[in-house]
Amino acid sequence: MIDVVFLLLVFFVCTVRFERNEKVYRLDLPSRGITADPLALQDAPLQIIVGIRDGDRCSIELRADGVRRTAENFDTLATAMEELRRRPGVADGLFETSHPILVVPAAGSQWQDAVDGFNAAVRAGYANIGFAESKR
Amino acid sequence: MTPLIDLAFLLIVFFILVARMGGEQLPPVSLPEPRHAATTSAGSRPRLAVNVIANGDQTILSLGAKKFSDDESGHRALADAIAQRIRRDPTLPVDIRADRSLRYDKVEPALRAIAQAASQAGAQGVTIRVCALDQQTAIHEQKAKHE
Repeated sequence: MIDVVFLLLVFFVCTVRFERNEKVYRLDLPSRGITADPLALQDAPLQIIVGIRDGDRCSIELRADGVRRTAENFDTLATAMEELRRRPGVADGLFETSHPILVVPAAGSQWQDAVDGFNAAVRAGYANIGFAESKR
Repeated sequence: MTPLIDLAFLLIVFFILVARMGGEQLPPVSLPEPRHAATTSAGSRPRLAVNVIANGDQTILSLGAKKFSDDESGHRALADAIAQRIRRDPTLPVDIRADRSLRYDKVEPALRAIAQAASQAGAQGVTIRVCALDQQTAIHEQKAKHE
């Protein structure tokens, strides 16, 4: 009987996953070398400028044609972006969910902050998000 | 009776261990952990993991067990290795697993290598994903597509 108990113990130890839950974001990297359609309307991307971290603070700015907002943190960034998103029944939305969003991290900014900026855009409901080259 | 059940359990344990050894071994990376993460499940499909590991002042780039130096020739070799794998299986999603403590400009060459590999391989619609840790369930699916 003790044999069976030990074997069961070994079985559960072997099958349990100790690693934490790893998830993913789909990413749209800016493509190069593709000839643009001259008749297509080019949407200027909405840029999330992520600054260099100073202690627990990080400067965040949202920039596009006619839009320039700063955010205290990534939660307020997500809220601001959601307000700018065009939704059914809401007249003041500016950008479609398919509007290109570009995360532009400053040179020297953290990967964690860049991913936080990306996450804010996903939370706000946008679907066409990419990383730009770091801003020098 | 007991020896028979012993044998059955031993066989189960053996097959589980063998199956796990056959799978891809991912190096441990402290992935970014965003608040209220809106990530989706990585799924159980095979994937190509590009790892960017912080090692003191150094950065190690790896694709599976193969390591690449963090310089111009290393970046080119990484792009070539990714392109080779994409050419073999264009449906393979390419995941970037980078340490959260790294500066963005240390991760950027890996992102550029993936983009370069996708255009080198001539593959349209290669799925590129960013890995993060998430304790919540997925909120919604992203529809971004690399073209």
